[in-house]
Amino acid sequence: MFRSIACGVALLLASCQSAPPKTFFQLSPEAPAHKAAQTRFFETKDSDALLSASAAALQDLGFHVEECERGVGFLRATKERSAMESGQVTSRVFLLLLSFGYFIQPIDLQQQIAATIVASPANSDGTRQEVRVMFHRVVWKGDGAFERNYIPPGEQRMEMIRDPLVYQQFFAKLSKAVFLEAFTL
Amino acid sequence: MMHTPFFMLVALAALSSGCSAPKPSANLLAPSEAQTKLRSIQSRTFEVSDRLVALRGVMGVLQDLGFVIERANEHLGLVTGAKFAEPNYLDVVAITVTVRPQDDGKHLIRVNAIFNNKPIEDAEVYQAFFAALERSLFVNRG
Repeated sequence: MFRSIACGVALLLASCQSAPPKTFFQLSPEAPAHKAAQTRFFETKDSDALLSASAAALQDLGFHVEECERGVGFLRATKERSAMESGQVTSRVFLLLLSFGYFIQPIDLQQQIAATIVASPANSDGTRQEVRVMFHRVVWKGDGAFERNYIPPGEQRMEMIRDPLVYQQFFAKLSKAVFLEAFTL
Repeated sequence: MMHTPFFMLVALAALSSGCSAPKPSANLLAPSEAQTKLRSIQSRTFEVSDRLVALRGVMGVLQDLGFVIERANEHLGLVTGAKFAEPNYLDVVAITVTVRPQDDGKHLIRVNAIFNNKPIEDAEVYQAFFAALERSLFVNRG
């Protein structure tokens, strides 16, 4: 009885959440800060060299290029890695023991890390180029079980990578590759 | 045995309905009023003469809004992107933007967004996008 009520409430909540909010296309207050962390400027006219160096820097980091459009200075690359973390594995074992073998918690199994780069001229005479990179990852969970109910694998979630250090490291590599100094505004 | 005539009737009804399958109406592809309204909500003309500038503005604003650009094509004036909607990052919003030149040197930008495979038809959502795009194009021009 309780379970059916819980299911009903969960369904209701899910249906409430699935209505599209009106804020999809409204800039968040953090947007300028994110943009600053993701963007660097280079004093060069050669946007092609910048894009090709970006691809090389991503290759060094283990990515493979999936999509590239020279005309608009766009490049997308991905890499797949294991997402297993010791903390989650420990908590899975702990919960399994605590529930006397009834609950096997699904944990993060695999992740795809993606980089999207857009290089475009930052001024009218094209002597300065702007490079903006965005990193995000999609994480897939493994399987689990609750009582006798099997929880299938494949639940996924996505998150933007906001750690400024990741962006600093990428731009340091890119600067080296183009022999130019990257600067912020 | 008593139910046999009933089953025969049902089977006959099913057969006859199978024979007279409804044909698609002649105006199947004709635009409905709702579609015309939606198109006007999703489209806006911008005073930008260079398509590349308009395209870069679109890509910039999509990045500002947290979208991951999936495809961009200069010749077709096409950008597609997607993001997982906050706060739970489980709902997916996909967007397609096309940039097409008009006769008067301006560019028509059409956006359509999908929320979990369901088209977004709320005018306010598109207004917010065009407002952000206008700012982005203005900043780029400046």
